[in-house]
Amino acid sequence: MKKLLSLALALLICACGTVTPVPAWKENAYRHLDDYKTSFLTGREESTEPHFVKARREMAAGNDLSILTIAYLTKYSLHTASLESFDSSEFAKLYGLEPNAVDMAYCHFLKGNFSAVDARALPSRYTGVLKAALSKDLTAAAREIAAIDDPLSRLIACGVWVRYLPSDETILQMAIATASANGWRRPLWAYLTKLQTYYFEQNDVIKANTIKARLDLLKKD
Amino acid sequence: MTLSRELKVGLFIGCTAVTIILALFFLAAGKGFFEKMHVFTLSSKSGDGFTEGMPVVFSGFNIGKVQALELDDKGIVLIKIKIPDRHVKWIRSDSKFVLYRPLIGAARIDVNTSNLNSSPLDTNQITEVTVVNDINDAIAKVEPVLEQVTQIAENIEHLTRNLSDPKGDLNRALSNAEKITSNLASKKSLVEMAVSDEESVKALNDSLKKLKDITTSVDRILKKVDKMADKTDHEIYGKNGALPQINVILRDIVGKLQKLDKTVDNINKISTDTSEGMKDFHILRSDIDDAVNALGDVVKKLDAIIGSKKSPEFKVP
Repeated sequence: MKKLLSLALALLICACGTVTPVPAWKENAYRHLDDYKTSFLTGREESTEPHFVKARREMAAGNDLSILTIAYLTKYSLHTASLESFDSSEFAKLYGLEPNAVDMAYCHFLKGNFSAVDARALPSRYTGVLKAALSKDLTAAAREIAAIDDPLSRLIACGVWVRYLPSDETILQMAIATASANGWRRPLWAYLTKLQTYYFEQNDVIKANTIKARLDLLKKD
Repeated sequence: MTLSRELKVGLFIGCTAVTIILALFFLAAGKGFFEKMHVFTLSSKSGDGFTEGMPVVFSGFNIGKVQALELDDKGIVLIKIKIPDRHVKWIRSDSKFVLYRPLIGAARIDVNTSNLNSSPLDTNQITEVTVVNDINDAIAKVEPVLEQVTQIAENIEHLTRNLSDPKGDLNRALSNAEKITSNLASKKSLVEMAVSDEESVKALNDSLKKLKDITTSVDRILKKVDKMADKTDHEIYGKNGALPQINVILRDIVGKLQKLDKTVDNINKISTDTSEGMKDFHILRSDIDDAVNALGDVVKKLDAIIGSKKSPEFKVP
């Protein structure tokens, strides 16, 4: 009897499932983009770019420009999260073909053009940070960044602030904590270096040396 | 029957007259007097060279003659030629008439017929005569030669005038040569002849004496260089010289290279083995790809059975 009930339950679960098949290119593109994000953040330099190339190839097969634009914006956001500069020429090309206010607002945010960002088009999690950036309110920025749930989004917000506005120990420490908690070596290295410079600038040699020890540890690994 | 003397005389005279008439008749017939004649009209821009009675020739044979020369309203000369009936077959519509004026001999009209099967020439048709003038051609050829001869003669005249002139180039060259030879004859040496200055000759002599001193010095230097070369020989080729030591080093290097040969052989062997192993890598790679694809298929099938797979949502982080 129990067996029969289990079988009926299994069949019911299967019947509830969607029957619409997911296109292979979409599934593969999503997987490769996810792998790219992981490889980039964990500092696996050699395997990072091939994942993006594969993702791009799959997206090209689907010929969906909006998805391809998201892929490039993801790439730029990861560079921003790691305090690195990026070349937005590919996005400009795609935007020329298929303009989208949401994508442009996000790109302006990543490039630090805060006055050009359309706050309504920007993802809601960043609007608080944008307001703080426009008013250059450091306390509000720390509060808004801490309120972001997604660790990668939080790191991106930290990256935008640290790259384009005066640095603050609280924000840098928050970024270091987020990166180290998730094992993201590449941004961790960048923020530790930035914090070390900050301590040196503040003439706090002891803290700077502590950060140097942490960096050496990261280098040995 | 006896004939009277008057009758006999009469018969004789009659027979003689008949014989004479017959002879004249045959002569006239032989000369073509009774033959039918055809008259053709030719034209030429100039009547120069044409004369009445001029022969008309075909392949070197006389076939007719010029009967008359006339001038038409346009000033064109019309030449009437008379051709006997037996020769009219040579005159055809495509016949060309050429006035040929040889350098020696009488002028004539040559008939050239390329196709004897063509239609006969119409007596009303006027054909133009072309002119071949050997005399004019010869004059045209001789004229430039004569001009050249005239020029040569002028040049010769110029030369002779120059030679005969006491102030001419040749006479001046001769007088200069005379001056030079007399000047050379008064010099003491060949060098003085060349430079025509005694002080320069003295300076040259002094230089030659100094050159002797210089050669003595160079001799001394060369002897010293010889001694140095001897020493260098000893240092290079001597028992403890550089060359024997280099030989020892080279032998050592050769020995080591021989040992290295084995190592290179081993490396070759290893690389061969590696390249053979690399062939298997392709197979291994394809096997891995197959396995991965098979796993992917299994996952897809499981997803299809379970039906929990949702379409991935792309959004910026």
